[in-house]
Amino acid sequence: MNAAQFLTIFISAVFIYNVILSRFLGLCSFIAISKETRPAMAMSLSVMFVTTMASVITWLIYRFLLVPFGLTYLRTISFILVIATFVQFVEMVIRKISPAMYRFFGIYLPLITVNCAVLGVAVLNIDMFFNNGKAMPGSFYYSVFQGVCVGLGYTLAMLLMSGIRERLELCNIPKAVKDFPLAFIIASIMSLSFMGFNGFKF
Amino acid sequence: MEILIPILTLGVLGVVFGIGLAVASKRLSVQVDPRLEKVHGLLPGANCGACGGAGCFGFAESLLSGKLSIDACRVNSEEAREEIARVLGKKLEKKVKKIAVLHCNGGKRVKDRFVYEGIEDCVAANLILGGQKECVYGCLGFGTCARVCPFGAIKMSGEGLPVVDASKCRACNKCVLVCPKKLFELVPVYPVRDYDVTGRFDGVSNGVYVACSSHDMGKDTKAVCPVGCIACRLCEKACPFDAIHVIDNLAVIDYNKCTSCGECVKVCPMKTIITRMHTDKRTDGHG
Repeated sequence: MNAAQFLTIFISAVFIYNVILSRFLGLCSFIAISKETRPAMAMSLSVMFVTTMASVITWLIYRFLLVPFGLTYLRTISFILVIATFVQFVEMVIRKISPAMYRFFGIYLPLITVNCAVLGVAVLNIDMFFNNGKAMPGSFYYSVFQGVCVGLGYTLAMLLMSGIRERLELCNIPKAVKDFPLAFIIASIMSLSFMGFNGFKF
Repeated sequence: MEILIPILTLGVLGVVFGIGLAVASKRLSVQVDPRLEKVHGLLPGANCGACGGAGCFGFAESLLSGKLSIDACRVNSEEAREEIARVLGKKLEKKVKKIAVLHCNGGKRVKDRFVYEGIEDCVAANLILGGQKECVYGCLGFGTCARVCPFGAIKMSGEGLPVVDASKCRACNKCVLVCPKKLFELVPVYPVRDYDVTGRFDGVSNGVYVACSSHDMGKDTKAVCPVGCIACRLCEKACPFDAIHVIDNLAVIDYNKCTSCGECVKVCPMKTIITRMHTDKRTDGHG
């Protein structure tokens, strides 16, 4: 466990292998909720929270349940189970604690339950920080940090996209490409430009 | 026997989570006022925010807590208001129905001072020397009001002016707030009147209004706009109800006194004072 490793995780998760623009995970929310900056920010914060917590929980489940019983091939289904339960639980808690926060985040939480970015980061953690079913030294901290960074990468992509789309609202756009078609075109151009980061090898 | 391990593991995991969620939903359940859903269902659902609440749901909540009155929503229909009052057990006061009118009729008849090539939006255009029109009081014609109208009641006509569809306008005040030239005003829609002033009042309101906002001297107004108010005061003299006055070079109607009789429309030499019927015709392309 050293600082260089953390820096590598940060740069690769946020820029080089950006969860949306390079790995193409979590695309439906990326297109659907990026029309304005405020909801995009709320969605991003919720995703960041869930990816972080999902990293914690799935690491624990994998390390202390699936590995000892030799059930590593069941990771996808058990991760989905855990993540869905967790998101449901968080939704209830938020609803109880703060109605204002529920109105701000609540609508996005059901969307996150089935967001592949969250499952993606869990599976990625296992692939990167487990060696033949054995946890690498410090892998728990790496996993959690990667969860945060993937969330940050998601936030970056969402903010860029919503900023661009907000500006486009004021332009004269042909009807045929207005809204979603244009969003797809922008997303592909952004994705191409993020490929530029691939030149740096860490 | 080996198949039992995954079955048991996943099964136990599922049961534990299921029970956990069930307990949590009981423990963390939130009591929701049943009236909230009912009231929310009776609101227009446009989430325009004109009432001061955060959308229709926020308004429903403020209604229950008594922070806002039912009348704060100017958009709702009369029947829905009565229904909400019934659900809440409150009395409802009658209010005058209002409608938005545009105090400008210049449009393409007013020439441009310069070529504007910025963002196609009145608020943005207004930032540059008050817009491209020769009349600094007049409509810029980029249709920002049409875009903000939550009810699709405002359309841009071929003459570069917004036209309010009286049947769709719910007087939510959004266009009034967004127009950088402050050209919109909510005026009362007069219901059917049972008295007749001019002998040709057919039971429907004419909807008289002054289609100009220029405070310039008559000569200056006339130089830039063929239909601007020149402050000649003929309308003042013609009005049988003392309802119209020229204030600061502009005719202004006092809707507390106006009966929409149409006398001022007849005498206005510039055709500045017009009726809503006139505007309605314009939508069909005859005006």
